[in-house]
Amino acid sequence: MKMIRAIVRPEKVGYVLDELADAGYPAVTKIDVVGRGKQRGVKVGNIHYDEIPKELLMMVVQDETVEEVVSILAKSAKSTEGTFGDGKIFVSPIEEAYTISSGLAGL
Amino acid sequence: MKEVMAVIRMNKINSTKKILAESGFPSVTCRKVNGRGKKKVNYELIEDLIGEEPIAEPEILESISENHRLVAKRLLTMIVDDKDYKKVVDIIIQENKTGNMGDGRIFVSTIDDAIRIRNNDTGVEAI
Repeated sequence: MKMIRAIVRPEKVGYVLDELADAGYPAVTKIDVVGRGKQRGVKVGNIHYDEIPKELLMMVVQDETVEEVVSILAKSAKSTEGTFGDGKIFVSPIEEAYTISSGLAGL
Repeated sequence: MKEVMAVIRMNKINSTKKILAESGFPSVTCRKVNGRGKKKVNYELIEDLIGEEPIAEPEILESISENHRLVAKRLLTMIVDDKDYKKVVDIIIQENKTGNMGDGRIFVSTIDDAIRIRNNDTGVEAI
């Protein structure tokens, strides 16, 4: 299993979630985060913002579906032309998962 | 070291924290998150329920809520020693299990290193 964490623009979250659900990956956890990237935030006039609000989408999927999920995320979270601040996707291994309602291992 | 991430019901957080502390795992990070699971909509079930009983149990309401709606949950993150993580997982399951959909999930992954900022302790000592 892999955990996919995607940092996306807040205004894109609804669309990304719909695309994921349509493709058959409804399970996702959304966390509000603030952060900056390689561009060190944004500068508007004389003011420098380095805590830009984003949404972190966290989901755990089977190994063989990682590529599909990542491509859905990358496609749907991208702004029209693809600009700085569209976000990033991270993939990390998960060794075990348990469903609390049944107490069993597995997704 | 292992990282145990558990998504649990909002109203279970206090009892879970309490029982974890009593079992010797006091250190925990938790935050409010929104999430959804695998469940699909069953409109007939919703109509039946609304028709007969307007105020249903939160567990039932949650299990029949629409597929795309995000439900408020708590995300509990703990870093524990390799030999302890099974115990932590069991405690969380035992405390949060109601048998309904929406009870949550637990994920376990490996943490390579931990450092205590106060005095640069590393590894298991730091947790």
